[in-house]
Amino acid sequence: MQVAPPRSLVELFLGFLSIGARSFGGVMPWAHRVMVEERRWMTPEDFTETIGLCQFLPGPNVGNASIVLGKRWFGLAGSLVAFLGLFALPFVWVLTLFAFYADFAATSPMLRAIVTGVGAAGAGMFIGTAIKLGWPIARKPAVLFTIVACFLCVAVARFSLVIVLPVALGLALVAARRGWL
Amino acid sequence: MTLLELALYFCVLSIFSVGGLPSVMPEMQRYVVEVKEWMSPAEFMQAFAVGQAAPGPNMLITSLVGWHIAGLTGALVALAAMCGPAAMLAWWVSDVWDRLKDSPWRLAVQRAIAPIVVAMILSGGVVLATPESPDWRLWLIAAATAAGVLLTKVNPLWFLAAGGVIGGFLLS
Repeated sequence: MQVAPPRSLVELFLGFLSIGARSFGGVMPWAHRVMVEERRWMTPEDFTETIGLCQFLPGPNVGNASIVLGKRWFGLAGSLVAFLGLFALPFVWVLTLFAFYADFAATSPMLRAIVTGVGAAGAGMFIGTAIKLGWPIARKPAVLFTIVACFLCVAVARFSLVIVLPVALGLALVAARRGWL
Repeated sequence: MTLLELALYFCVLSIFSVGGLPSVMPEMQRYVVEVKEWMSPAEFMQAFAVGQAAPGPNMLITSLVGWHIAGLTGALVALAAMCGPAAMLAWWVSDVWDRLKDSPWRLAVQRAIAPIVVAMILSGGVVLATPESPDWRLWLIAAATAAGVLLTKVNPLWFLAAGGVIGGFLLS
């Protein structure tokens, strides 16, 4: 497959704009579709590797990808343009939706019920995703222990992440170097 | 002052958001709802629901928290604070990461982070599923959606839509 990076900042901006504009139900599939299938900026392997890095970094996956790829193709200007392109339309839409919702929710218990149902489904998506990600790695006892311990600290005891994350990461790094994880 | 406090806090959360928004969701809920009481549990969940249903990176939920506190300025500040530090880190790390390609440390970091991210995402789901008092109807919707995500390859948007319909019937 013939691939070529975007030729101009405008093309980069429009590509990320179209990712953001269409990304109902998850950004990643649309990022793949636009950058690999439609515009052919990169190979599927390259995409997977970039997303792999971005998943391990803090911040939104595809947001990070916009920074990393923008930098690769056009330096700092590329990062800024790609990031703004990705967030511009979704930002306007989410605020508009929320403003409408706030107006109607006060008078409509039905709407509140629907949105609460959507929220519960969204929470269920998180739970399903966690199980999907955790299942293949939880065979190792140390992995299962780490998951359960972190879950108890954060969801049940409600300790601050600012404490739990550094401690857990430090211990997990030691365990990973010893081959337990 | 509230906005400054929010911005500083989100800057810290930004660096901690390994795995994206789901990882910091339980912490954000704890801080915004329980510690600072800027939003009620139900308000927070509804902002989450609107953010999930809208297109775009779900990090945009942070801008709804900012909007609730200080309008449009709040929305922009919250989003910038939540994305800025992580974006700077990505900018800097992308080169280092390539250079460490064969380092055993790179593998160790990946292995160490994976179970922690899983635990944070799971916590986010459990904390958000029933915002106020435990409610079997919300648990039912959450459990059905989790099963759907696990067992099918359907676009998740349909699960959100189904959750809305079931919520409309069961909760109103």
